[in-house]
Amino acid sequence: MNPIDQLRAARPAHLGDTPVDERTRAAELSYAMAQTRPPVRAKRKIARPVWGLSLAGAAAAVTAVAVAVSGAGGMTPRAPSSSQAAPSRTVQPKQVKLSARAVLLAAAHQAARQPDTTGAYWHTVSVRRSLWNVEGADYTVMDRQRTEGWTPAATGRGQEQWRRTQSLGAQPATPEDEAAWKQAGSPTEISVLTHRKPGDTLALPTTPGKAKVSHDALFEGDKVFWLGRNVTMKDLRGLPSEPGKLKAWLLRSYEGHGTESSGSPMSSDAWLFAVTTGLIMEMPATPQVRGAAFRMLADLKSIKVIDNVTDAEGRTGTAVTLDVRSKIRVTDKGDSGILQSRLIFDEATGQALASESVVVKPGGYQADFAPGTMWDSQVVLEAGWTDDKPA
Amino acid sequence: MTDDSSRFTSMYDECRQRVWAYVVSRAGRQVADEVVSETFAIAWRRLDDVPEPALPWLLGVARNVLRDNVRAEVRREALNAELQTWAEGDVADQVAERLSVLKALAELSEDDREILILTAWQELSPRAAAHVVGCSPAAFRVRLHRARKRLEQAMETATYSRPRVRNLSEEWS
Repeated sequence: MNPIDQLRAARPAHLGDTPVDERTRAAELSYAMAQTRPPVRAKRKIARPVWGLSLAGAAAAVTAVAVAVSGAGGMTPRAPSSSQAAPSRTVQPKQVKLSARAVLLAAAHQAARQPDTTGAYWHTVSVRRSLWNVEGADYTVMDRQRTEGWTPAATGRGQEQWRRTQSLGAQPATPEDEAAWKQAGSPTEISVLTHRKPGDTLALPTTPGKAKVSHDALFEGDKVFWLGRNVTMKDLRGLPSEPGKLKAWLLRSYEGHGTESSGSPMSSDAWLFAVTTGLIMEMPATPQVRGAAFRMLADLKSIKVIDNVTDAEGRTGTAVTLDVRSKIRVTDKGDSGILQSRLIFDEATGQALASESVVVKPGGYQADFAPGTMWDSQVVLEAGWTDDKPA
Repeated sequence: MTDDSSRFTSMYDECRQRVWAYVVSRAGRQVADEVVSETFAIAWRRLDDVPEPALPWLLGVARNVLRDNVRAEVRREALNAELQTWAEGDVADQVAERLSVLKALAELSEDDREILILTAWQELSPRAAAHVVGCSPAAFRVRLHRARKRLEQAMETATYSRPRVRNLSEEWS
């Protein structure tokens, strides 16, 4: 008899498929479902979602963590072609001369001076770009996903968060990649490696897909954003506007691990940076709170500032950066990669332009990408209040 | 019941005992309920990320929870105790043969044992099992082949000496 069969036969009876007892079942189910789930991810994942890719095909895959939505037809600004959108995949900006702290304090000052407005819905439009290696070929494509979201100012019965997502299609990342793609017969669907697990692939169309609209009741009736914990619009608008107090408020949700998994340790600086990036990028905090957020970042020891950075839409801004380790799984042995998380903003207004991850040291999901490669980016095209109805 | 909670509940009903059996075979019964409970709490928080089929994903999460929360020596001791009960528990006809297989299994490294258990007891495909342990299916096949060889060797040795249940844990540690 084959040793595997012998082993199978030797399995202790209680490890077979006996049912779980009802009390344990009830206890475990209620314990699990008492866990709070983020209704809206404030921050896209630094690493690409490990498992989310198999959810519902390509479109869902690339938006697995996106907040919101995208427009169809005439409402959707045409996505720039890849050559315009990402003039170069490798970005080598120079370090700014002014101290990082001074730059951030200036941005804080400007942010706090912006007018505070409100409306019926907080409305955002963003485009996420992510790089993928093509299966069985030596070129890289950049996938683009447009997301548009509406979050109501009001809570209560009938209030819903709306989202519209649309794949804008994948394009060869550079002219060299384009040549390789043409050589491969210009396929209209490109199979890429997910790195989620070895050999796992995803088919990305090269043309824009249909927009998908969805709307959901507010989580627990009133929670609309995630800031380390689920918060209401009122919580968000009432955040402390003093940097130390804001930091303390946020850190109350910090448990020593990352924003995505309780299994991956994360420093409090990295955690604050991730949560604050979401706050500055996507949420209608008051100008004073946005100012406080920049001041808080200014006091983090591990941040750097880079001047004159171009985002994926070609807009110039200043980046505040923090290096984070990148692993596919916490338990992976061997070297992890290092990614530079960047929040790119307009110094004149403190308005966020984009957040990006740039490869510093290849490893993890970015094992195949050279240092300097912009691996993932999310640009904010619109963020403001509107009285117009969603979708 | 919302879609999410019904999806979660059916996933729980489908996979809970399999996850539990995996944890027991890695670290014994003492810690199993706790690890399983934590695993499903994570699954609920990350429900949008859970693929279909969910089992390999859940086993991967359980594996991480186990590794992060239960030290290797505790796992080994707990499994030692577990093996004792396995050996004592049954009085089937083939008890001698079963014991020699379990004893051989106990003599292997934790890595080998995990690979064999995922294959023989969890009946995962090499692809799914590779997902759980975080390697490529090709690498998994190689590791399985080697683990199988070592199991075979350990079984040959075990067959010649009469299985001595009482000494199982001593010999193993």
